[in-house]
Order: sequence, then structure tokens, then C-alpha cells
Amino acid sequence: MGRITLDKVQKSFGDVEVIPPLDLEIEDGEFVVFVGPSGCGKSTLLRLIAGLEDVTGGDITIDGTPATDLPPAKRRLAMVFQSYALYPHMSVRKNIAFPMKMAGIPQDEQARRIDNAARVLNLTDYLDRRPGQLSGGQRQRVAIGRAIVREPAAFLFDEPLSNLDAALRVGMRLEISELHKRLATTMIYVTHDQVEAMTMADKIVVLRAGHIEQVGSPLELYRTPRNLFVAGFIGSPRMNFIDGEDASSRGAHTIGVRPEHLAVSDSDGVWRGTVGVAEHLGSDTFFHVHFDGRDEPITVRATGEVALKHGDTVWLTPDEDRIHRFDQQGLRI
Amino acid sequence: MARAVPTRVKARNTAIAWIIAILIFFPILWTVLTSFKTEATAIADPPVFVNFQWTLENYVTVQERSNYFRHFLNSVVISVGSTLIGLAIAIPAAWAMAFVPGRQTKNVLMWMLSTKMLPPVGVLVPLYLIFRDWGLLDTRVGLIFVLTMINLPIIVWMLYTYFREIPGDILEAARMDGATLRSEVTYVLLPMAVPGIASTLLLNIILAWNEAFWTLNLTAANAAPLTAFIASYSSPEGLFYAKLSAASTMAIAPILIMGWFSQKQLVRGLTFGAVK
Amino acid sequence: MATQHSRAAARVMIAPSVILLLAWMLVPLLMTLYFSFLRYNLLMPGANPFVGFENYTYFLSDPAFQTAIVNTLLLVGGVLVITVVGGIAVATLLDQPMWGTGLVRIMVISPFFVMPTVSALVWKNMFMNPVNGLFAWIADVLGMAAFDFLTQAPLASIIGIVSWQWLPFATLILLTAMQSLDSEQLEAAEMDGASAWARFWHIKLPHLARAITVVVLIQTIFLLSIFAEILVTTNGGPGTASTNLTYLVYAESLLRFDVGTGSAGGVVAIILANIVAIFLMRMIGKNLDA
Repeated sequence: MGRITLDKVQKSFGDVEVIPPLDLEIEDGEFVVFVGPSGCGKSTLLRLIAGLEDVTGGDITIDGTPATDLPPAKRRLAMVFQSYALYPHMSVRKNIAFPMKMAGIPQDEQARRIDNAARVLNLTDYLDRRPGQLSGGQRQRVAIGRAIVREPAAFLFDEPLSNLDAALRVGMRLEISELHKRLATTMIYVTHDQVEAMTMADKIVVLRAGHIEQVGSPLELYRTPRNLFVAGFIGSPRMNFIDGEDASSRGAHTIGVRPEHLAVSDSDGVWRGTVGVAEHLGSDTFFHVHFDGRDEPITVRATGEVALKHGDTVWLTPDEDRIHRFDQQGLRI
Repeated sequence: MARAVPTRVKARNTAIAWIIAILIFFPILWTVLTSFKTEATAIADPPVFVNFQWTLENYVTVQERSNYFRHFLNSVVISVGSTLIGLAIAIPAAWAMAFVPGRQTKNVLMWMLSTKMLPPVGVLVPLYLIFRDWGLLDTRVGLIFVLTMINLPIIVWMLYTYFREIPGDILEAARMDGATLRSEVTYVLLPMAVPGIASTLLLNIILAWNEAFWTLNLTAANAAPLTAFIASYSSPEGLFYAKLSAASTMAIAPILIMGWFSQKQLVRGLTFGAVK
Repeated sequence: MATQHSRAAARVMIAPSVILLLAWMLVPLLMTLYFSFLRYNLLMPGANPFVGFENYTYFLSDPAFQTAIVNTLLLVGGVLVITVVGGIAVATLLDQPMWGTGLVRIMVISPFFVMPTVSALVWKNMFMNPVNGLFAWIADVLGMAAFDFLTQAPLASIIGIVSWQWLPFATLILLTAMQSLDSEQLEAAEMDGASAWARFWHIKLPHLARAITVVVLIQTIFLLSIFAEILVTTNGGPGTASTNLTYLVYAESLLRFDVGTGSAGGVVAIILANIVAIFLMRMIGKNLDA
């Protein structure tokens, strides 16, 4: 079981309030991602749940037991750190065994769980090496192995993939997702990368300056972002925002159109502009289209190979049903 | 990326560097060589380098005539003793400052450093009088105390810079893994800190071994370590070059070897982390 | 990460170091200050009356004091110039590709580990002795008259000995700093057409500025307190030709047993050292924030 409840949890460092009182419900078995720009308080929030920081106010409940005053060791949570935080002087086997040794689990049971974890994580051949002799991806696996063997109520991941290169990151992302499906244990995952959030989460928590901006499934956030911040943060390439006449004619202060919801034509359409940079990916083509009287280009995503080039005139037509409308305060209408 | 260096350039560098290095090292080499000569060969004109009758008699004579071993033992006891006591006091302090930094941590560190700036001669008189009145003059205990105190700031600083390099993440990981404070320190912190503690130990033994202000002023025949004992060769025994050399060689050999192993730590320790 | 509990524990762990150092610093310091205002000579037992600034006037107007100050400055300045310039040269040399770097390094840093009394005696007797010293022999071979270093140029000779001891320290620190220079910076400069000399002057030397400052300041602290080298070579003589401030205070207090004057001299030495210390502390403090 791993049901975690935050009730008016608040954190200040000195006079600076980094997390204003905040409520959050995390269901058992859920994969929850905290996402937001750096400095939004997502890591702090994770560390409050872990017990590595004291809360300034509010309560944390894990599986119905008050955990606010419990030391980290007693919360039955396992954590995977951004730096992996492996013990450099211990072999892989000893690293994985450490939490079980602390918990006083019998030797043979320890050995069984280590073998099991090593098999799942492809570490069997590396058990007697030191962390210093492993690659980044292997270290990451050891850190996960160390977390698994405790059979915790929930796993906490603090930006675990940010030290890996791009190719490895995609692979590890899949592995962690698969691990979640197999173990069905609650996971809380912190990242600044919205792609990781969209691909892995059951539930995304978007944070800004310690505030929860929106909570929901990846597609809920994509379809109905509650405000400009969430709209701009979720989705890649970014949503285009348009003010002025085009917005007021649709009864909004600002409208947002995702690049994939714009149709491109070289002959007719609603808005006329000039192609700037064109990025040909093969599967898709991204155009940055410039308009008179607008500083920022509008990004358009066209499927497949489209033979428009720099300087060409294009016409864009938004999919009217998928235009997002926001009021003066940036809230969804 | 390292580039291939022409052999000619490398040979020229090597030649110049070796000449300079041998010139710098020569006084030590000469002392060692002379210690194996007879007194007559030691002052031979022209000087002889290696083609002489090697003898160990000077080492024997030095020990017999002056109870050399006693002073050697004084040096060992005083330098190792003061370093171990210093470590025992400094480890908890450095640990606390590195891992539980507070608003005053930086000030405390800077203040500790400032005590090191106090010129010893500024407190020579009172310390001499205190030692005289308390019967500490010419005792090992007295010197151990003084050397502990003068090296304590360096020990705290070195340990602090080493401890700070241990990532806090790893200690937090241990805490998440269910370790109590005690097991966190025993299983995680100490094993990781061993290299730093060993370097600190080594450098401070070297510094204490070579300390030559307090050892000269606060000891006489009884507790004198080698620094003070060798000073007694300043006249007229100093003219017995072979014996002076033998006594000197024995005094510097152990520390020279330790020093070769602690080059890197030396930089860190003596610059208080300002140069790494 | 810190909690209330760990802060309390931290305070307990720091306390012994702080209390010991505080006592070690304050007690003798206050005593020195107190003695410096008394007429107090160990050879003349009896009352030790308060005499105000008499000891200071006496100490500061002693011609030996002025000599000592000049000698101290010459000693510190001379050694600094030799070791910094020499250190940059030797460090640059060691930074070049060559065979046997390890052994060369070991030879170059060795003098630093020789205890001051040994190095002073070895130089005094086996090199500088006008009859049997190696230098006398070299002079003889070259057809020159032997030079009695410690009598005819006592201070310069001591500067030479002390420089030999401290050159390795400067070299080692400057070499460490040199090796921390990003080689891409040098390669970029090379691409920009900078000559070897220009690269040294515009990139290496500015990079070393910090390390040089550290060397100068730390050596100054130690060099102000040079004592053993003077004691075993010249005893501060001939006359006061090689007496520095430290040696003068030692002579007043433990040779003439004049506690009052010695203490006044000690206070003067502390004030001088503090002037240097302020600069050094500022450097190190800045580094602590980084």
C-alpha cells in the first residue's frame, strides 16, 4: 500500500516561503509526476515527503499513519537520487544490500532479493564491481535496485534521468515505466522535462513557485490546460499564444493554438505569413512562420515531408474547435 | 587533447629539468653521502662524491655519544601524539561544520584560521612562564599540548574541506535506506572519509615533526625532539661533518618519505583550500 | 537537511575545538599585553610596578629594533621575490612534457620537508664554511678567495637558506594552479594566433594571480616568524646584522630575561602580523563562498 496525503503542507527557509500551504492526494499504485521549471519547489516537495526536510506546517499521512514527525528511515519510502548517491566504497551487491542490512533482514532473504533485482535490472554480471567502474545507465540501475529490494510503500525519484545522455534517457524511461506496471507500487517522480511527465505519468502535478497550477492526467492537461502557464508548459513544440484582434474576435484576451492544430497551405487560409526557419525531421516538419506586426514567429507542425522553404509565403488555418481561450488573468475560459 | 611533442623538445625539457632538480636536491644528497664518509673524507679537498670507503660508523657514534634514539622517540611521540589528539578534537567539529552548516559556521572557521596568524613570539613570554610555573618545561606532555593547539586550525580546516567533498546526497540516501545516525557514520561517512583523514594525519605529523620554534624554546636535554637536538650541533660539533650528516639524515629521512607521498595534500592543507 | 536535533548535536561537537582555541589564544595574549606594561625582569625578583608605555618606548627606540625591522622586511621581501620568481620558473618547467616527471618533482619538493635546524646547519657548515665548505672549494677552483658568508653577508646567507626551504612550496602550489588551467583556453589562444610568450603573459600568468597571492600571504605569515635558522647559524649577529623581530623578542625575553620589554616586542610583532593576516583572511574567506 502507498497512499500519500499532503494536508496544508508548507515550507519556509527562514523568511522565504518556498511552498505555500498545499493539499495533494496520491492514490495507491499511482505514478505521479511533479513537473515545473527549475526552482518551482518540486524537489523540495519530494524531500518533504521523504522526510529529508522538516515541514514548516501541515501534515503528511502515509497509508493513514501520520508521518510528519517520522524520520526518513521510518517512512517506508525509497528514493532514487539525481546523482544516484551510490556508496562509492561498497560493491554493487553491498549497495543493494545496505537497506536490507539496516532493516535486519536475514542473509538468505537478502541474497534472494539481490539476485531477483539483479536479474530484473540486468546487473547480474556487475554485482561485484564498485560504482566507479559502472556506466551512468548501470549506476542508475543500481540505484533503482537499492530502492526495489526494500519493497517500500512508495518510490521517490528526484530527476533520475537528467545525468544520462539522450539515447539512454529514452531507454531508462521505458524501463521505469515497465517497472511501475510490474510492481504496481506508488511512484512519485520529479522532473523538469514535460516529455518525461507526459510519457510516464498517470497523474501530473504542475508546479510553479511552490503553487500547484494543475493536477490531472497527461491528456487532461493537454486538452484543457487551466491557465496560460500550464498551456505553455505542456506540449512540444510549445503552444502559440496570440493576443489582440484575433483573440478578441473569439471573445478572449489571449488565444492559444498548438502547432499541430494549424493547417498549412501555399494558396489560401486565415493568416498569411512568411516561412522563416524550416526544420525537416522526415516524419514531421516544423515551420517558424513570421507575420507582420508580430515579433515572435508562430510554430506550425506539418505531418510528413512538406516542401516549403525559407522565404515562401504560407497561409495558416487554425482548427477552431481546438483553440484555447484565456481571459485577462490568463485563466481558461 | 594531448598533442605529440617532438622528441627533441622533450629531451631538452628533460635535461634542463633534471639539472635544476638535482641542484635543488643536492644539499640533501650531499648530506646523505657525507653521512657514510669518515670525518677525514668528509672534508677532503677536492671533495669526493661516491668513490670513497663507505662506513656506518657515524650512525653508531651519534647514537652512542648522544643517546640519539631518545630524541628520535621524543619526535615520534610528540608529533604523532599531538596529531592524534588534534584529530580526536577536530573530527567532530569538522563533521558538524561540513554537514550541519549554520549561520556562524563560516565565522567560526575564519576565526580558527586567525589563531594560526598569531606570531608565536607574541605569546612566547607568558607561555614560557606558565610552563615554568607548572613544571611543563622540557616535558613531552607540554610540547604535545602546544603542538596540538598550533596545528588544530589546520586539522579542522583540512578535514572540513575533505568532508565537504562527500556529497550530502549519499548521506541522505543512507537515511532513506533506514540507517540510524550511528550506522550512517560507521558504514557510510567514515569509510568515505578515510583518505581525507589519512592525508590530514600525514601532513600534520610532518608539520609537527619539523616545528622549530616551540621545540627550541620549551625543551632542553630531556624532552628535546630532533629539531632541538640537531640544534646542539650548531657549534663546535658541527665541524664534525660526517656525524652532523648522519644525525641529520636520520632526522629527515622518515619525514622526507612521508612528504613524497603527501604532495597533493600539502597544497590543500597549507593553503586552507584556497588552491586545489 | 538540518533539523533542530542535528543543530544541537553540531554545537556540542564544535565546542571542544572552539573552547580550547579560545583559551589558547586569549590567555597568553592578555598576559603578554599585561606584562608589556610592567617593569618585570626575571633576574631581578621583587615587585613588578606598572610603568605605562615605558617598555614600548624602550623597545621602539632601541637601535636594535630599527635594524630588526629592516632585517625582517629584507628577509621576508628577499625570500618572497626569490621563491615566487623561481617558483614560477620551476613550475613552468615542470609543467612541460618530459621524462621522469615524478622523480623530478620529488627532488624539487624535498627541501620543504627538511627541518629548519637541519637545513640551516647543513648549509652553514657543509656549504658556507669558509674553510671546509663546498663553496670555499668552488671559489678555490675558480681562483677566487673564499668568502665567509655568515660573517660577511649574514642576512643574505640566511635569505638564501630560507629561500631554498620555501622554493618547493611556491613551486608546488604554482604548479598545481598551472595544471588546473583549462587546456582549451590555451588552445583557443593558439588558434587566435598568440605566441608562446603571449600565452604565458596573457593567460597563464593572470590564471596564476590568485595562487601567487596565496603563496605570498602564507609565506609572509611563516617568514615573519623565522627563528631556528637564525638561532643555529648566526645567533642574530654579527652584532645585530641578522636579527629579525622574532629573534629580537626572543633575545629580550629569554636571553636577557626582560619580560616587560619582551612582551612589548611581542605586541609589536602581533600588530605587524595582523596587518598581513587581514589580507590573507579576506582572500580565503572569499574562496569559502565560492
